[in-house]
Amino acid sequence: MMRFNPLPLVRADLRRSRLLAAVTVLLIAISVATGIAVISQERALRQGSARAADDFDLLLGAPGSSTQLVLTAVYLRAQAIPLLDADLLLQASDAAGVRYAAPIAFGDSWQGHPIIGTIADFASRGATLTPTEGRLFQSRGEALVGSGVDLAMGAVFSPAHGLHVVYADEAAAPDATHEAIHYTVVGRLPARHNIWDSAILVPVEDVWQVHGLPSGHPAGSAQLGPPWQANQLAGVPAIAIKPDSVAAAYRLRGQFRNARSLALFPAEVLNDLYLTLGNVRDLMSVLAIMTQVLVVAAVLMALLVGFLARQRQFAVLRAIGASRLYVFSVVWIEVLLLIICGALIGSTLGWIGANALSHWLQSQVGFAMLVRLGAAEALLVAALVLLGALVAMLPAWLVFRRPIAEGLVSA
Amino acid sequence: MQVRDLTMRFAGQERALLDIAAIELSTGSSVGISGISGAGKTTLFHCLAGIAKPTAGVIRWGGIDICALSGDEQTRWRLRNVGLVFQDFHLVDGLSALDNVLLPVYFDRWQPSASLLQRARELLSAVGIAAMDRLAALLSRGERQRVALARALLLEPAIVMADEPTASLDPDHRRQIGDLLVEMVRGQRATLIVISHEPELLKRMDCCLSLQHGSLQASADFP
Repeated sequence: MMRFNPLPLVRADLRRSRLLAAVTVLLIAISVATGIAVISQERALRQGSARAADDFDLLLGAPGSSTQLVLTAVYLRAQAIPLLDADLLLQASDAAGVRYAAPIAFGDSWQGHPIIGTIADFASRGATLTPTEGRLFQSRGEALVGSGVDLAMGAVFSPAHGLHVVYADEAAAPDATHEAIHYTVVGRLPARHNIWDSAILVPVEDVWQVHGLPSGHPAGSAQLGPPWQANQLAGVPAIAIKPDSVAAAYRLRGQFRNARSLALFPAEVLNDLYLTLGNVRDLMSVLAIMTQVLVVAAVLMALLVGFLARQRQFAVLRAIGASRLYVFSVVWIEVLLLIICGALIGSTLGWIGANALSHWLQSQVGFAMLVRLGAAEALLVAALVLLGALVAMLPAWLVFRRPIAEGLVSA
Repeated sequence: MQVRDLTMRFAGQERALLDIAAIELSTGSSVGISGISGAGKTTLFHCLAGIAKPTAGVIRWGGIDICALSGDEQTRWRLRNVGLVFQDFHLVDGLSALDNVLLPVYFDRWQPSASLLQRARELLSAVGIAAMDRLAALLSRGERQRVALARALLLEPAIVMADEPTASLDPDHRRQIGDLLVEMVRGQRATLIVISHEPELLKRMDCCLSLQHGSLQASADFP
């Protein structure tokens, strides 16, 4: 138990200089909020983008940029990429160790929602996803919508040619609509918190046919999905392969990594990307910490000047019987309280800001960025408070050691 | 109180700020100290209160040589034995009148006892402060000095020392505060040391010391 009570004086001092205290807390809060927002946002971006690639164990595309293939097929970023030769879909489907090889065909949209032609196995992610409403597509002209698509069960719509195009009035672009085909919504997938929540999945046969290509099956056949007929196959932008095992995944990657195709693990591409961006992330973290240190240093300098201006008050306290430790405690607790308040408010603001930023960003990047405060943020705040507690000893020490008589006669 | 061979000089300075051969005061007496600016009044005041250490000499209060005490020991001694009143009051603006009076209590305990709280209220009543919960910043100068006087007397010190306690007050308040100071300290049977330029206040002391260039020039007994 302390043998003295500095709190009444601390309270009185903070009450007297409430404006300075408020500005101090605000500056520290902004600094902390910035640091937390940067760190948590970076993590949310990394985790969100990694989560979006979870559904793609192995991806095949035409030779070219692996990053472009991942961005196009996984994140559905509209880019013109070359098509894979048609026979590769057949080879992939028939290869050993493949649970399913799903064509990913895009090119159409409905009110900004990309329409992806694929097979039911991919739509259900190998029977691991069950529609929250309705069922998977089972015949031509049926559509399965993502959780973020505003189409009711049974709704009928026609696709528009082109990706991610939102026409103010669909009728204003008459040539762009494939009026020859109508899709009926038969199911809705659960939320995956990625761009696929806003996608519409349809049988790949319909996508091929609407673009004047063979459907992969004999003319007039109502069959969906494999087995494909070799002479009826069209090229596809990408193939998502679900291997039986990790060993099969590596073997398949080797098998399809050749002059005719590019085979990659999206997670690996993302990892390379993260490593490349790692230095930027580190730099951002250092900048965030440096900003905090500078703000705290500036704030403490201002407080130091304020305390030095109050030397006479502290000298009077000492004269009427306050110990040096008492005066030290008053100064130290005042500074520490301001830092703790700033850190707490900053943490809250940082969390709110990061969530707001995530909300805006996820509409831009197409995957959910869930913000959670983690150990890094806690460490940041703890380091700030600890640093503040240590640095706050400077003004406290200066007040501590000044002779009373000198303080009493100072102006 | 006994003062012997008290000298105070800054390092490298030939002339002493204080050079006093002897002063003696009996318990419960009162003494005024006067002198022109720079005569050494404040330095003597600081030495007698244990705020500043003299270069040489002895200041004995009730058998304790305060010059031999460490800084922390002097602080503890001051808290228990000395009540100080300053020209500029030096209240804490953010505290109420009552909390200002109670401030010394917080220097060595967490909460004031019920008896100290009661005494603080009685002292404020005695000096004429009714609005005890009003912030010090909102009090008039005369009221602030009354609160400062109550603060000095709270712990029933054996010694009360006042540095120009009426100098910053208007004539009416000067007389009132002077009366309160003398009467309340006498009522407590404490020794009173007052630095002042006010003849009216000095006349109410048992004796008066006049300082010039750090040395005692005269000692006059007042009836």
